[in-house]
Amino acid sequence: MSDTTTITNVITVVLLLVGAFFVLAGTIGFVRFPDFYSRMHATGKCDTLGEGLMLVALIVYGGATFVSVKILFLIMFILFANPTSTHAIAKAAYDVGLKPWRKLDDRVEWMNTSDTGNAGNTGNTGNSGEGRSGEDGGDGR
Amino acid sequence: MTGASLFGTIEMVDVFLAMALMIVLASFVSLYRGIEGPGIFNRIIAVNVIGTKTIVLLVLIGFIYERPDFFDIALVYAILNFIMTIAATRY
Repeated sequence: MSDTTTITNVITVVLLLVGAFFVLAGTIGFVRFPDFYSRMHATGKCDTLGEGLMLVALIVYGGATFVSVKILFLIMFILFANPTSTHAIAKAAYDVGLKPWRKLDDRVEWMNTSDTGNAGNTGNTGNSGEGRSGEDGGDGR
Repeated sequence: MTGASLFGTIEMVDVFLAMALMIVLASFVSLYRGIEGPGIFNRIIAVNVIGTKTIVLLVLIGFIYERPDFFDIALVYAILNFIMTIAATRY
């Protein structure tokens, strides 16, 4: 009996730690990524997987009781609802007209803040007035 | 379930408390993006993320204090969070 309890506790702790890793990675990505869509890419998958793993760990800890059935319903609901809400937010943002971030944007702004180097980018010289500090409030990303 | 220990020294309640503290920390880090983030959509994602973290936090609290009432609260909170996000994106 004691061996079974120890094995159950070890499985619970391992699943909790893996879930905590995914949740922390999703949070760091949510803070650090440069764009709205890539932030949604970080949170939409990492949070679903991490919280599902933490709830599975709590099911393993709780055993086969009525409480575990409730947590199983909660996991099923999270697995349905979280991608649906992520898709709804992304579609609303796309319909409003939020443009995705490209890697060229930062480079062009960085080149325009320096004195040279914007000879080849004549199509983007409208950005030359705003530096990197105007990145946050500019176009609502 | 009380007093189930891992490796003799660490109790499972302490592990759950550490996980709950980690989730609270991650919620505060997400709250930074909710306050600072440009545009309304970052704030909507921040509310969604914090709400989803709160579900796991409620289940952990239910296991720490051994009160099964919190699981019903977590279920209702999950449904409310989903409906709130859908309503906010539909304007």
